[in-house]
Amino acid sequence: MIELVDVVKRFGDFTAVDKVSLNINKGEKIVIIGPSGSGKTTLLKMINFLQKMDSGKILMEGKEVGYHRDAKGRLVLEKQEVICKLRSEICMVFQHFYLFPHMTALQNVMEGPMTVKKQSREEAREIAMDLLGKVGLLDKKDVYPAFLSGGQKQRVAIARALAMKPMLMLFDEPTSALDPELVGEVFNTIKALALEGMTMVIVTHQMGFAREMADRVIFMDNGRFIFEGDSQDVFSDRMDNPRVKAFLDKVL
Amino acid sequence: MEVARYKLGVALATLSFLVLTLFAPCVIAAQADRYEILAEATRLANEGDFAGALELFHQVPAPGENEDGGVFVRSRMEAAKIYFSMDRYPESARMCGEILAIYPDNLEAQNLLRQVKAAQTPRWVRFLKDLKTYLPTLLKASGMTLVLVVITMIVSPVMGLFIALGRISRIRSLSSLFWCYIWIFRGTPLLLQLFFIYYGLPPMGLTLEPFTAAVLGLGLNYSAYLAEIIRGAIESIDPGQMEAAKSIGMTYWQAMRKIIVPQTYKRLVPPVGNEFIALIKDTALVSTIAMVELMRAADQIFNATFNIFILVQAAIIYLVFTSIFTVSFKKLEDRLGVYENR
Repeated sequence: MIELVDVVKRFGDFTAVDKVSLNINKGEKIVIIGPSGSGKTTLLKMINFLQKMDSGKILMEGKEVGYHRDAKGRLVLEKQEVICKLRSEICMVFQHFYLFPHMTALQNVMEGPMTVKKQSREEAREIAMDLLGKVGLLDKKDVYPAFLSGGQKQRVAIARALAMKPMLMLFDEPTSALDPELVGEVFNTIKALALEGMTMVIVTHQMGFAREMADRVIFMDNGRFIFEGDSQDVFSDRMDNPRVKAFLDKVL
Repeated sequence: MEVARYKLGVALATLSFLVLTLFAPCVIAAQADRYEILAEATRLANEGDFAGALELFHQVPAPGENEDGGVFVRSRMEAAKIYFSMDRYPESARMCGEILAIYPDNLEAQNLLRQVKAAQTPRWVRFLKDLKTYLPTLLKASGMTLVLVVITMIVSPVMGLFIALGRISRIRSLSSLFWCYIWIFRGTPLLLQLFFIYYGLPPMGLTLEPFTAAVLGLGLNYSAYLAEIIRGAIESIDPGQMEAAKSIGMTYWQAMRKIIVPQTYKRLVPPVGNEFIALIKDTALVSTIAMVELMRAADQIFNATFNIFILVQAAIIYLVFTSIFTVSFKKLEDRLGVYENR
């Protein structure tokens, strides 16, 4: 469905993502693990065009999207409307939630359908109520984010992304900013989503994601994929990649 | 002593009046006498012998029917002035009274009598009276102050927002242009800007009414300040908010309008409130370009009365304005902060 080909991102001399290729199939759940600073978040942001890549290709249904090349052959992002259209189909959930603090939970979820999709207030409200019910927060619909717990905030953020009816959801360490006892509720929400067949890419340190819902686990280090396999491969005793092993020993 | 002398004077006057009427044929001679008395008295007064002068002035009788009262008026007037200069207000008033009894329209006597009455009331009573007399003038002038404040309060945040958005824009030329604008208007005195607009533009072919010039000066200046405050507020919003807005497909301007700018409102209230209080006081500067507002009116009245309490009164009106603003801005801040958990 979406394919990255030889994607590169540099920040000055530092290469954050180094010629990474990734094919995301419809309905697939990909979990990317790896130490901090290995380029996982940057990779996610490039899939959502929040970061501009320096070279490579992003294909959607086999067609190159989001960029064109200028006279010198450098990549240039497409016009804003094109990018916004793409982004509305690939939604992202952030580590620090980034709910809109001046809006209630319900308004947060309604905002995308209303502003971006130009749906009517009633339509948007219906969608938002439905989604808040799904993440179990209907009773919090008129509460401002500041009065929600971390887990509740993240669930609203998931509902906000779902309201756009995306074809792909990107999760950037969705549970890392949460107190340990709040991880479960968010984890279960994402798992429910996975069971419904949502295509998703999850960057995480939470091995539960890799173990319980990953179709494919990717270990990323220094901007490269150094291991790819299904969850059994990663957690089995046959795992022979020393860097993956060292990392897993630390986090498990 | 004084009374005795006065009585003597009246007696003398009556006597001479009787003499004059009794000896009608001698009227012309008597008239001549009056001139002599007046001349002599004036001479004494010029030499500083006020007591002697007064005695003689009193000797000039009131004019009879069909008689020229010029000498009489002159003598009473001179006497009244001498009494006034000696702070003997009752006598001075009586002299004026004598003139007005015969010539009620005599302006000189009327004026002096007013001065005498004013001098007789204690200073603080006079000052309090001034406050009452001039309060409507001050209030009317403060209406103009308020008009200037309100117009600037509406214009400058709107302009400030556009300038701020221009400043943070990625379009270099736009950003530099607004940088220059802020640099100039924030970096030079408001007074100078007002002078430039009001006195400096006409030679270049653009003549403005004082009001237009005042609104323009205040608006341009305060827009620059507010632009910087608004820019600071926008930049203080977590960049994650912009990312989140974009991640659900919003354009830059949609995100600005719906997500970023609304979050700045609460943060803007304290510094903007501060600016508006400064603005209330800065309107006093437009008094220098022929605008009659509170400061100018107070200054004019003060110069006419030398009554320092007029300035106190103006200060109180300014304080009332600033207090109302302070309280309402606090209320506004609380209301805009309902979504914060504190």
